[in-house]
Amino acid sequence: MSVFSWAQKPAPEATGPSTGAVDEVEATSKVFPRFLSAVAQQALETRPVILELGPVVGANVEFFSDRLACKLYIENLYLDLEEAARLGTRAGLAEAFLRRLALAGDMFDGILCWDLFDFIDAKTGKTLAGELARLLKPGGAVYGFFGTTPIELCRYTRYVIESESRFRLQHSPATPVKRNVLLTRDITKMFEGLSVSESVLLKSSTRETLFRR
Amino acid sequence: MLPGFAVGRDILPDNLTPQLLSAVSVVEVQDMFKRDEAVRPQTTTPPGAQPPSVPASTTGRPTERDRVNLGKSVIIKGELSGSEDLTIEGTVEGKIELRQHVLTIGPNGKIKAQVVAKAVIVQGEVHGNITATEKVDLRESASVDGDVVAPRVAISEGAHFRGSIDMQKAGVKPGDTKPASPDMKPAGAPEPTATR
Repeated sequence: MSVFSWAQKPAPEATGPSTGAVDEVEATSKVFPRFLSAVAQQALETRPVILELGPVVGANVEFFSDRLACKLYIENLYLDLEEAARLGTRAGLAEAFLRRLALAGDMFDGILCWDLFDFIDAKTGKTLAGELARLLKPGGAVYGFFGTTPIELCRYTRYVIESESRFRLQHSPATPVKRNVLLTRDITKMFEGLSVSESVLLKSSTRETLFRR
Repeated sequence: MLPGFAVGRDILPDNLTPQLLSAVSVVEVQDMFKRDEAVRPQTTTPPGAQPPSVPASTTGRPTERDRVNLGKSVIIKGELSGSEDLTIEGTVEGKIELRQHVLTIGPNGKIKAQVVAKAVIVQGEVHGNITATEKVDLRESASVDGDVVAPRVAISEGAHFRGSIDMQKAGVKPGDTKPASPDMKPAGAPEPTATR
C-alpha cells in the first residue's frame, strides 16, 4: 500500500470523530524521525514538552514517555473541527482553536499537528499557524502533513506511532469537507515565524513537513 | 461512616439537614456503602469444607474488607481520604486522597476533584488533576479533563482526555532518556552516504 494513499479513498457515512476506527493501514515516515531528533536536541537539559493536537492515543503516550521522557499535552482540535463542520459554524473555528490553545507562550519543544491543516480554510490556518509559532520554544519543531489534491475529506485519521518511522493509521468517519490545498509558498507564508526544515512529497501526493522556530 | 474513610465535617451542604440526611440514608444506605460483593472471588470450596484461612497481609491483595463502594446516588462535597481501596460510582467534588490504595472511578462516577492515590482506574468522568504513585489507567469509557502525573499511564482506545500527561519515572533524568532513533542526529543533518 502506498503511504498515506488512504486520503484519496471514499469514506463511509460520517458520524463524527468519536466513533471507532473503521479500518487501518500502515505508513512509513521520512520526516518523523527528524522531528524526534529535533525535540531531543531541543531538550537536552530538560524534559521535552510536546503538544498533541490530535486525539489521545495510548501507544503514542507510551512512545513519547519511553523514548523522550516527555511531558505531553493533549488538545484535540479535531473535536472542534468536527463540531464546526457538523453545525456549520466553521467561521468561528479560529476562535475555538484560540480558546483551546490558551496556554503560555514558548512552552513546547514539539507540536504534532498531523493533517489538521487539510481540514481548515486559509484564514483559520493562518491564525492557527501563528498560535503554534507563539506556543513553540525557539528551536522547537512542528510536524504535519499537507495534502496536494483537492478532494473531499470524509474521514479522520488517528496516527498510532509504532516506531520512529512507522505509523498505524486508524480511520473514522468525518463530516465531509473539501481539502484546503496549500502550495509550498502558501505553507511558507502561512507559517510566518517558522521555517520549513524538511519537506518530503510522498507518492500519495501528501507533503510531510517539519517546521522549526 | 465508612470504616477507614474520613469525610471532612465542613463538607455537608448547608441545606442538608439531619432530617434530610437521615431520609436519604434510609433509602440509600443499603446499596450506597455496601462492600464490593460483585467482585468477590468465586470459591470452589466444597460445601461444608473450611476455606483456607489466608490473612490479607500475607497475600498482599486487598480483601473484601479492604474495598468500599460509593453508590450512584452518593454526592460528596469536600475532602475524602481513606486507607482502603475505593470504588466511586457517585459524585465527588473537592479532593480525594488514597495515598496507599487503589481508587476506581466507575462508569457512573463523576469526579470534580483533585485525586491522589496509589493507583487510579477511570471508567467515568474526572474534572481535575490526577496524581498516582504507581499507575493511572484510563479505560474506554473514561473522560478526563485535567493533568495526570504517574510513572505509568495506560489509555484505552476510545478514552477522552484533555490536559497534560507527565510520566515522570523515579530516578530518570533528562540525559538518561533513550535516543529517538539509533542514529540520532540533529534535524536537518544530511543523510549518511550508503557504503558497501
